[in-house]
Amino acid sequence: MKAEYINSIYQAAQDVFKIMLDVGTQKDDVITHEVTDDGANITIKLQGDLSGTILFSFPKETALEMVKIMSGMEMDKLDSFIISALSEVVNIICGNAATNLQKYNKHVDITPPEVLEDPAPKAADNCELLPLKTDIGAVKLNIKLDENDK
Amino acid sequence: MMWKEKYKIGVELIDRQHEELFRRVSDFIGTVRSEVPWEEKLSKIKETLEFMKDYVITHFRDEEEYQAKINYPGLEKHKQIHDDFKAEVAEFVQLFEETGFDEDLVQRFSGKLLAWLINHVAGIDQKIGEFAKKQEVPHHES
Repeated sequence: MKAEYINSIYQAAQDVFKIMLDVGTQKDDVITHEVTDDGANITIKLQGDLSGTILFSFPKETALEMVKIMSGMEMDKLDSFIISALSEVVNIICGNAATNLQKYNKHVDITPPEVLEDPAPKAADNCELLPLKTDIGAVKLNIKLDENDK
Repeated sequence: MMWKEKYKIGVELIDRQHEELFRRVSDFIGTVRSEVPWEEKLSKIKETLEFMKDYVITHFRDEEEYQAKINYPGLEKHKQIHDDFKAEVAEFVQLFEETGFDEDLVQRFSGKLLAWLINHVAGIDQKIGEFAKKQEVPHHES
């Protein structure tokens, strides 16, 4: 997978965290796990010149803190309000990533986010891991994208 | 949900409406998230939703008129974002009516609304202000 595709997604995530949450984000070199089992795993599909999935894995503490920042309210459990807010954040990041990819002449559409309900979720085989560390905790992106011939 | 001064785009009417939207959505979410039993707060939820539906339409119209006035190049794309959002809200409202305002559905709508509004005002709408500044459009005439 080309580095510019990963960077388009990374840039979008970094921008959205900054704009929406006032939270700084950097790539993390410590890889502890791919997906969370106590938080929220939300996936989105890309179709077009590139096709595949991006799985966002938010550990519980990061998820709660993100929605606390947005709402100004204390959050203590991952309920449908929180999952829905996070799904929209994922939708926004991927929409912005699709815009960033146009710079490389790659046009993609995204599908609505889906929440993985599996108690033992797994990332796709051969996906690339993009671990992020933010001021409010870790977020893991598992990216699997294939180029389609035009 | 906190209004921040940095969200202002420098257009008085739009900024006033954004601030009001934040206040209303914040109140709405506060009600939806409160510990009060669902049946007891339902009338307030319905009332706020009705107000927001009208207010959002007015705001989107005013914002699009301002963009047209300054020949904002992103108008069509922006209008599409507004139209998509209005369609999504209409879908939710229909589902609310069909399900008798199912609590889980209203919770999901509220979460989406929260994130959508912050991104729209703090991100997408900022570009209107940036364009207006570059064009040196007199902001306070809107």
